[in-house]
Amino acid sequence: MRLLALFIFMIVLSPRLIFAESEYSFDLDEIEKKAYSLGGYIETRPVFLVFDKDSALYKLKLYNQDEGKTSEEYNVTLQLEGSYEKGIAKLYTKINADLRQSYLGWSDTTSVLEGYLSLKPSSSFTINAGKKALKWGKGYAWTPAAFADRTKNPDDPDLSLEGFIGLSADYIKSYSGPLKTISFTPVLIPVYDDVNNDFGETDHVNFAGKLYLLLYDTDIDFIILTGGSKTTRFGFDFSRNITSNLEIHGEFAFINNFGKKIVNNTGNTFVNKHDAKSGLFGVRYLTESDTTFIVEYYHNGTGFTDGEMEDYFSFINTAYEVYTSSGNDNDLQKALNLTEGNYGKMNPMRNYLYARVSQKEPFDILYFTPAITGILNINDGSFSISPEIMYTGITNLELRFKTGFLIGQSNSEYGEKLNNCRAEFRMRYYF
Amino acid sequence: MIKILFVFMSLILAVPAYAVDGNELLEQVDRNLNPESYEAYKKLINIEPDGSKKEFVLFTVKKGKNKVAAMFISPASEKGRSTLRLDDNMWLYIPNVGRPIRITSLQSVVGGVFNNADILRLDYTSEYNVEQVEENSEEYLLHLKAKTNTVAYDKLKMWVNRDNMLPSKIESLTEDSMLIKTLYFKEIKDFGDGIVRPSVVETDSPLYKGYKSIIIFAKIKEKEFNDEVFTLTFMPNMDSLR
Repeated sequence: MRLLALFIFMIVLSPRLIFAESEYSFDLDEIEKKAYSLGGYIETRPVFLVFDKDSALYKLKLYNQDEGKTSEEYNVTLQLEGSYEKGIAKLYTKINADLRQSYLGWSDTTSVLEGYLSLKPSSSFTINAGKKALKWGKGYAWTPAAFADRTKNPDDPDLSLEGFIGLSADYIKSYSGPLKTISFTPVLIPVYDDVNNDFGETDHVNFAGKLYLLLYDTDIDFIILTGGSKTTRFGFDFSRNITSNLEIHGEFAFINNFGKKIVNNTGNTFVNKHDAKSGLFGVRYLTESDTTFIVEYYHNGTGFTDGEMEDYFSFINTAYEVYTSSGNDNDLQKALNLTEGNYGKMNPMRNYLYARVSQKEPFDILYFTPAITGILNINDGSFSISPEIMYTGITNLELRFKTGFLIGQSNSEYGEKLNNCRAEFRMRYYF
Repeated sequence: MIKILFVFMSLILAVPAYAVDGNELLEQVDRNLNPESYEAYKKLINIEPDGSKKEFVLFTVKKGKNKVAAMFISPASEKGRSTLRLDDNMWLYIPNVGRPIRITSLQSVVGGVFNNADILRLDYTSEYNVEQVEENSEEYLLHLKAKTNTVAYDKLKMWVNRDNMLPSKIESLTEDSMLIKTLYFKEIKDFGDGIVRPSVVETDSPLYKGYKSIIIFAKIKEKEFNDEVFTLTFMPNMDSLR
């Protein structure tokens, strides 16, 4: 009790409270910079799933277990961010730990998403060494020109991504005139058995580079990746505000000699090599009533055609019939291997349309944002639709309830997913 | 001779009744509100009709007439978010998302009555021309018109105190003169180095009945920055300026 009284006394009489005589206060302790910082969030996200037991991916992933029609998933995620700054040097790390109970059983993963040393001798030059997510590209749901990044999840594009270990630098120069800014970011990404081995072929040191221009009020990036772990690729992106409520953006990627691993309906695999061209065009529009529209068209030049996907689903269905009649799951295991990082990628086909509509604070409810997101596979007509509501009115607490419905014919991307409906409630507390 | 004298007198009498240059007045208001290049801390408070509050603290830097950037220091959910404005170009950097995305001046990164143009405010003279000046013994009333259609509010009515040449009230209007919000400048404070300006700006809006938003200023300090600070590439590093 005495401690409480002392605490109240200190707060009330603190000389660092300015504007104490007015009805508003601004405590200068709030803005004092410390050499170190520690923060992050803790999150729980229970999920309810309705399986599509006739789908190819259900047969592939749950062929030897009976999960029934529905399933629940529970998880706790802790994301920690810490930094220490001294002079021109800054150490930064972001660690994500996840504990999950799902139809696959208990699992736990801990990943260092980022961890690097940054040296900043001047405001125009920075060197970073360590694991860093570069996050290049201008697309919201997809970023085909972000060659040195992991693939985003278009269903939740704002999620933290894990970086790759490397050495990078930023050099910035500003000008007056139509060309306002130019910056260059060279990156070295080593790929060996123990370092970045999921980036591509091992035993190479890759070079990635980005040249950024702010030219005639337009953001423009030229991107390159070369070095052997992946085939050489070139990219270009842009973004520009047309009016105070309309923004347009786009990306283009050229991938030299891309190797696409495909399977036919009898299970034979081939590698199809071709020069792939991918592109994205998007708009972001805000109406007078605070409705935001984000629409993007994505052409994935590395994606599978309708026929290739039908062959893949057909192979799974045949492999499942073999398993149910003989107990032999060799072909299903083969299909599982082909799915990982290939057919199982986010949006593995050719042409997509993304649309998201969100309404800021309808009915004068502050910090309340309902939204609906749709992703259409233009090739096969299947789609996902995800309504959600988010509330951020309690300081540092973010509540989001999101549902998702996957709709499509057989042999279509969304028609053959593991589940056809899901609902999740995400509670995230920042500290 | 009489004819010449008559023409001369007519010309003199034809000069507009106000000899005040509105744009010069606006320039004075800009310089009295803050130095052309400065750093400052701002606390934004959104107050709901039931009295509940949500607070945000920002660190802001500005250079010249067209460059301004801000970074959220608190609450934890917003920490590290930064916004940049170069003329009418605006970007938002969210640490989780990782790359700056273009935003528009009418959007709001904090919710409530404030939009991005309010948080990343440039000099009034860089966005507006004074079309008309009214005056009485205590204040001027400046009628401002946006220079381009990319400015957040097409018209402003600014009441300026003649004694200290500081605004006391600003009404933000659409092209059709519909009132969007009103800013009330309060509690004039000496921040040092000759910076004497209102330390509190209250905002209300007929579009958000019962809601109120407040900006409290602290530690406004004249400071020069390199141009490179106001670039997309620098946005993740804004904290290094503090």
